[in-house]
This record gives sequence, structure tokens and C-alpha cells, in this order.
Amino acid sequence: MTAKRANIAKTPYPMLVPAALLFGMFFAYPLLRGIGLSLTDWDGIGTARFVGLDNFLEFFGDRRALRDVSNTVLFALGSAPGLVLAGLALALLIDRPSRFFRAARTVIYLPAIASPLVMGYVWYFLLQPGRGLIARAGRSAFGPSFAFDWLSGDSSALVLLVAVNVWQYAGMTMVIFLAGLQAVPQEMYEAARLDGAGAWTCFRKITLPFLIPSMKVNVVTNIIGSLSVFDVVMGLTEGGPGYATETLSIYIMRKCFGSFTGYSTAVAVVLFLIILVPTAVYLRAVRSSEFER
Amino acid sequence: MKPPHQAAAARGFRFAATAAVCLLYALPFAVLLLLAVSGPAGPSLRLRNFAEAARASRMGRAVFNSALIAVCSVSLLLAAASMAAYVIARFPTRPVRIFFALLLGSMMIPGIVNTVPLYAMLVGLRGINTYWAMIVVCATNALPFAVFLYAGFVKAVPREIEEAATIDGCSPFAAFRRVVFPTLAPVTASVLILNGIGIWNNYGQAVFFLQARDMKTAPLAVSMFFQQYGARWNLVAAAAVIALAPAVLVFLACQASFVKGISAGAVKG
Repeated sequence: MTAKRANIAKTPYPMLVPAALLFGMFFAYPLLRGIGLSLTDWDGIGTARFVGLDNFLEFFGDRRALRDVSNTVLFALGSAPGLVLAGLALALLIDRPSRFFRAARTVIYLPAIASPLVMGYVWYFLLQPGRGLIARAGRSAFGPSFAFDWLSGDSSALVLLVAVNVWQYAGMTMVIFLAGLQAVPQEMYEAARLDGAGAWTCFRKITLPFLIPSMKVNVVTNIIGSLSVFDVVMGLTEGGPGYATETLSIYIMRKCFGSFTGYSTAVAVVLFLIILVPTAVYLRAVRSSEFER
Repeated sequence: MKPPHQAAAARGFRFAATAAVCLLYALPFAVLLLLAVSGPAGPSLRLRNFAEAARASRMGRAVFNSALIAVCSVSLLLAAASMAAYVIARFPTRPVRIFFALLLGSMMIPGIVNTVPLYAMLVGLRGINTYWAMIVVCATNALPFAVFLYAGFVKAVPREIEEAATIDGCSPFAAFRRVVFPTLAPVTASVLILNGIGIWNNYGQAVFFLQARDMKTAPLAVSMFFQQYGARWNLVAAAAVIALAPAVLVFLACQASFVKGISAGAVKG
């Protein structure tokens, strides 16, 4: 009892103050205020008027907003599984202790530390329909009738965005899977092989179970990251053609700068829920499968 | 056991596939570099593109802004996160545990959800187009993961060394600063590099909070340059190279601690 009290008395709460101030003032307070603002018609300058759920009703009645929801969800449906699978495949491919494969890890990881906005511009130089380097190379190889105009088609532009995003961040998921692979005891493979297990059985029964923690991290971060994508889209398509690849995060920015502050915080609340639901469902599923074992 | 020729074929396939992937990854960077030294008509070796692009895009000022914001943000982050993690790891009282749980939970909420109310708040505080606002916002964004990384490592530091310091009359803060913090150098390096590069590349918040011409960071300068000089790809590419170079060079120089930080977070997650 006395020992415990002494311990509490010693807790150096002042050391927590900088972190608590940052978190409280620049995360928690604006988050709560944002939920409040989402129920107003505030334009960012004048006084805010309480409008109840009007912003949300307007959102769900707006065709552009609903298209942005489907763009965002479709992008994530391609990008999140794409990143997890590409990262896993790359990790299995280069998990070899030699200079060549270590160098490959560096090269594959490189775009993940480069500005996604700037890399979006680089891909624009490659993929642009008329002047793009791929289109130009195609014309000089196959004649002037060659056309590469995926960036100007609605769904093909979205496909390109998914591909560029997977290209950019597969190195990140790969590095996390490589860390998970370090935990697999090599003796288990030898023992399994002596028992006559093939490569697929070894992968399923030994490798995959050891990758569950890194899988969890990768799935969650990529669900969140893909649903809130912003930079890559701004770099490559700016949401175009038209609004064909506009995502909710870009819509939020445009509405905020268009003086619809209250409305844009309502969109942010919707985006938050769109992210929360799959993340929570996945974490729940993982937890219950852990209990089963 | 596989027959030897089959094993050699598998090895050959692994090398070939890895080489192909590397080509796919190196190609866009090679194209960017090539464009950056091209003339208006096609490939050449025009190094003056860099000078011209830097002048026209005001890249010097932007690089200075980015560097200042990254350095200040990361310093603030290192101090706040390491101290908080120390309290969390060593004094897990109920309020401390609740605070940690809130921090971890906040990692599920991406920046964009919070950016508009933050923008509204900073308009009121006259924080738009100031360094301090961008510095604290970037530090706050990076805080939860940094605390999480630090806390894991503090738990692995044996208590005995700081207990000895406390018996010698050190306060918990002094014990932390003189004894514990130095042993955390590897995490400090990871947090520094991971977040330094992340903040250098920040666009999602910068586009809201830094609108004045003199306040633009490197990604914003490239973006503005692209809007104005969009047709002159060689100059835009040169500006892009200048904006990318610091992050790429820091990453190549400090790769080991970079990868270590990410992996440590992953394995414990």
C-alpha cells in the first residue's frame, strides 16, 4: 500500500505534458470540433448556424459526392489487396541473404520514401495520352496510329491510379513482410522437408502463420491509407477526367476552399466512418481467429 | 529433395524475376533524370535546367522552408514522444494507460479527416502561413507511432540502470535524460529519419496551411511550378529532382535504421 502510493507520487506527469498538449490541442480538440461543425452551415468566415443533419442529407443527395464515394471505395478495393499481395510476393521473392537481393530491396523501397505527389507527376510524364513518353515510344515503334489514352478514360484512369499507388508503396508492405519472415525458424523448413512436405505446404503451414502479425499491420495500414488517398491522385489526375477519379479526400479539400467549411467537415465524418467500418471488422475477425487457435 | 538442375532453374527464375522488378522500379527514376537534363527538343545534357528550374520555381526558398519545418517538427516530436513513452513504459497508472490507448486509437484516423477543423482553428489562431503551425501539426501527426515505437524500446531497457541513478538522487526526468534516453539512440535514429522524410514530403496538410508564396514547401513548389510551366516538362522534371533529392539521399545514407524502425513497429504491432 505505502509502496504503491510512493510509486504514484513519483509518476512524473510533467514529462507527459508536451505530448498531451500536442495531442489535445491539435488532434483531439479539432476532431471533436469537426463533428460539431459538421452540423452547421459555417462558411469559414461568418457565424455558424446549426442545421442538424442537413449536410449529410445534402451529401447523400449529391451525385458528385456519391461518385467520389464509389471512386474512393473502388480505389481501395484495388489498392489495399494489391499492396498486400504485391508486398508479400516481393518479400518472398527477395528474401535471400545476398548483396543482389539487398540492393533489390533498396530499389523497390525507394519510391515509398519519395514524395507521392512528385512521383505522380513523373507517372504523368510517362502515361499522358499525347505527349506521354509511353505514347511517344509506342508511336515510334508501331507507327503514328498507336494510341495510349488510358489516362483520359474514366475507369482506366482509376485503374492506372491503383497501379501507380501499388507500384509506389509495395516496397513498404514488402519491408514489413520481410521483418515477419525473419521470425520463421529455418529448422522448421528442414524438418518439414524431411517429412516430405512440398513448397506449397511449407508456405501454408509454416510461413503464413508466422506472417500473421505483419499481415495485420499491412492490411490495416493499407485499408486506412488507400481510403484516404490524396497525394498520388493530385499528382497524376487531379481527380480527372472531370470528376472520374476524384476521391473523398480531394472533395473535402475543394469544398473547404470553396467556403463550404461545415459541409466539408461532414464529408470528413463520412470518410471517417467509411474507414472505421472495414478496419474494425478486420481487426475483429483477426482477433476471433486468434482465439480459435 | 529437388534434383540439382531444378534447383538451379528456380534460382535462375528468382534472379530474373528480381531483375525485372528492379527495372520496373528504376525506370521512372531514370526517365525523370533523363527528362531533367533534356532540352526542349529532346535528349541532351543540359545541366542548366536545374538552375533555371530552381530560379523559376523559387525552389531555394521552398527547400529552406521544408528543411526548417522538418528539423523543428522532428526535434519537437523526439522530445515529446520519448518523454511520454518513458512515463507510459515505467509508470503505467490508469490515466497514463488511458492516454496511451487514445494515442494508439488515433492512428486509425488519417490526417485528412481532421484537417478541415484544424484549418478552421488555425485561421482563428492566425496560424495559416506560419512555420509554427505546420511544425506542431506535423509533430502531432507523427506522435502516436513515435510514442508506440519508443514505448516498446523503453520496456526493453533494464530498470536497474535508472534505479541506480534514482538512488544517487536523480529525479525521474534526470534519470531519463542522462541514463535512458542515450540507450534509445537506435529508435531515435529511426523516428528521426522516418518522420524527417515524411514531413519533407508532406503535401496533404501543407496545401491547406501554407498558401503564401514565400511559405511553400518543396512539394508545393513543384506543384505550383507544374501548374505554371506544365508544358516545359524538362524544367518541371529538374524541379522535381531537386525536391526529391534530399529525401532520397538521406534514405540511401541511413537505410539501416530506417528499415529497422519500420520492422520494429511491424513485428510488435
